[in-house]
Amino acid sequence: MASRSLRRSNPITLVLALMLVLGFMLFILTPDKSDPIPKTVTPARSRKPPAVQRYHMNTLKATASPISNQEKVIILTPLAKFYDEYWTNLLKLNYPRELVELGFIIPKGREGNLALSKLQDVVHKVQTGKKKDQFAKVTILRQDFDSPVPQNEKDRHALSAQKARRAAMSKARNSLLFSVLRPDIAWVLWLDADIIETPPTLIQDLASHDKAVIVPNCFQRYKEGGVSKIRPYDYNSWHDSNDALKMAGTMGKDDIILEGYREMATWRLLMTGEYKEHGSVHDETKLDGVGGTALLVKAEVHRDGAMFPPFPFYHLIETEGFAKMARRLGYQPYGLPNYLVYHYNE
Amino acid sequence: MPVKHAHAYSNGHVYGNTFSISPHRFQPRAQPALRWRRQLVVRILAIAFVSAIILLMIFPSFRYFLLPSIGLSSLLRTTLDLPNVRQYDLGHFQGSARGWERGERILLCAPLRDAETNLPLFFDHLRNFTYPHHLIDLAFLVSDSKDRTLLTLVESLEKIQADPNPAIPYGEISVFEKDFGQKVQQDVTNRHGFAAQASRRKLMAQARNWLLSAALQPYHTWVYWRDVDVLTAPATILEDLMRHNKDVIVPNVWRPLPDWLGGEQPYDLNSWQESETALALADTLDEDAVIVEGYAEYATWRPHLAYLRDPYGDPDVEMEIDGVGGVSILAKAKVFRSGVHFPAFSFEKHAETEGFGKMAKRMKFSVIGLPHYTIWHLYEPSADDQQHMEEMEKERKKAEAAAKAAEEEKKRLNDGWELKKEQWEQDKKEIKNKAIQDQVVHKPDDKLVGGDTGPLAHVGEGSETGQEEAAVNTRSEIF
Repeated sequence: MASRSLRRSNPITLVLALMLVLGFMLFILTPDKSDPIPKTVTPARSRKPPAVQRYHMNTLKATASPISNQEKVIILTPLAKFYDEYWTNLLKLNYPRELVELGFIIPKGREGNLALSKLQDVVHKVQTGKKKDQFAKVTILRQDFDSPVPQNEKDRHALSAQKARRAAMSKARNSLLFSVLRPDIAWVLWLDADIIETPPTLIQDLASHDKAVIVPNCFQRYKEGGVSKIRPYDYNSWHDSNDALKMAGTMGKDDIILEGYREMATWRLLMTGEYKEHGSVHDETKLDGVGGTALLVKAEVHRDGAMFPPFPFYHLIETEGFAKMARRLGYQPYGLPNYLVYHYNE
Repeated sequence: MPVKHAHAYSNGHVYGNTFSISPHRFQPRAQPALRWRRQLVVRILAIAFVSAIILLMIFPSFRYFLLPSIGLSSLLRTTLDLPNVRQYDLGHFQGSARGWERGERILLCAPLRDAETNLPLFFDHLRNFTYPHHLIDLAFLVSDSKDRTLLTLVESLEKIQADPNPAIPYGEISVFEKDFGQKVQQDVTNRHGFAAQASRRKLMAQARNWLLSAALQPYHTWVYWRDVDVLTAPATILEDLMRHNKDVIVPNVWRPLPDWLGGEQPYDLNSWQESETALALADTLDEDAVIVEGYAEYATWRPHLAYLRDPYGDPDVEMEIDGVGGVSILAKAKVFRSGVHFPAFSFEKHAETEGFGKMAKRMKFSVIGLPHYTIWHLYEPSADDQQHMEEMEKERKKAEAAAKAAEEEKKRLNDGWELKKEQWEQDKKEIKNKAIQDQVVHKPDDKLVGGDTGPLAHVGEGSETGQEEAAVNTRSEIF
């Protein structure tokens, strides 16, 4: 008899049995988490054939006054970790949302799954909200290759790990860029997932300089003895030096020069060093290498072929290689030493 | 007062009266009727539970019905099914050897400039592809055209999309218009002149990059580059190339020539393997210099795919190459996604498709050429050839006129003598016919239906039959 056997058995056995049953139910009921993005179904042949789409790319312009010209911007973010501050800051940007598209690429693995589900939640919230607050389009991509190194701060900056890490980062950036760059987009804003504070007018401010490639200065806030201070973070925006060029000349084909390592003294003039506390935010400086934490690029630069080389290109890789490639294609990158954006402090 | 034993344990310890909670209190047994009912409920619940689990095991999608009904809908992941949100796992679009079975989408890219005359030819090829058309997206970039390329293109595309045969219309079709300010004229002599090559190829590269970056979508698995001036190619070319399952793969490209020029000729010299000589040469050149193959100015001694062709060789033979020609390239979309493009600058002393091959190799992708699998490029006579052909035409006409005169003379002479014989023959025939007509009853003539009206014979309807025949010939040569 069920009731009698229940009464006789030890409560601990009952609890364990209950846990087992619940665990089993959870296992069998929870949808397959290893594949959070379902495979897209290809359209059936019976569907009405789509009409011919025509795009006039001659009229597409990226100018100094993007809002009045209704120029479309796409904000691209390789997202390995989701920071709430990043999203809050992104929502503060006051460029008209109907002209803004978002693109994300998320690495494989457990951490990626976590970032993805958080992102899905916030995107769902915004895109089902008020029509005015919705972004024109959001594209979320899942990387098709493994990222080589764990993304913790100490490993990430080890010199030996840099090349593989930044090569993977370049591939992620390129995969994102070439999958989502639609023909109506005029500007591409690269914004890293750990940029947590920018002026809300970031896009307009950078675009107003009307440069093909433009990068603000990336700093980090920290506390020392209870006082809030700032320190330089992104060393990838620089002016070339003779020492660095000489160093490149003696290097093997597959070696790269990295900035910010004691083992490798390049004597390049870094943009972080040009920051003046009370200087004008409109000051411009010509750059040879750029960082990618926040970076505004005219879409035509990417369309001409400037991408983030995942291999040593003139001994440069990722965003620095991108700056070199843009220069080879005839575009001069610029930096704004006194215009600051802030990186997350780990 | 009697001692209460109810609160005592067997060890004799007695609680005070302060605690009323006690497990040893007497409880009446449940009523038999109530117990019976409870058993029934327990049994029903157990049956429901077991059947639910069995259902779940057979139909996993049952959980989407079950969970909300028992108030556990939060277990289900919120799927972002919104019109302005798209999600793709790029891992699903890697490419396999038999893509047509897995529904892998191909993006077919064709850059166009002043190509109006070749478009009908190209559209004949489009109708013939055997790869499922709804899995192919078409993308065209029309740049700096002075003729009616754009209009013809759009008209032809609309026609193909409206075709009543459901196997003919294609997937998404995009036409991009972008002028780059092309200075070099597009006729053959100018186009292939050595001096014009570097800047011309950089502009071509720019056009290709604009086309690809605007048209490539996350769900594309393959990208196929095809020039519009291909004369003959197997209709199965997409499957044939895909079967090799390589990152970048090109066929051999030749062109037919008039007989007086030798009948045929290697056309695309941009598919080659790197040589020591060429690498040494590259080191001596200026940063912006571009090595162009097929010109006496740069002797590179590279093995060219085109020269290695054996008409009777195995079409599946593969050859590692470093530079690729752009007439017909099949590449996995992931190659382009990881950043390989057509350099519009001098990349390792190469530009456009050759630079593309070099860059793909640099990123460790496999780049393969098929020396014995040949497609044929259209023959456009150069100015020298045209002059030569005019002279030949003149000579031919002269010879023809002379032959005709001689023939007439001969006929005139013969006719005079053979008149009577002819008359006699004719009379004989008439008599015979009369005799036959008397005998034979009139039969209805049965018309022959069917025969060689197979699917292939229908595919290119409305095209030049010569073209069709040529395509069949090439196919039989290949298999």
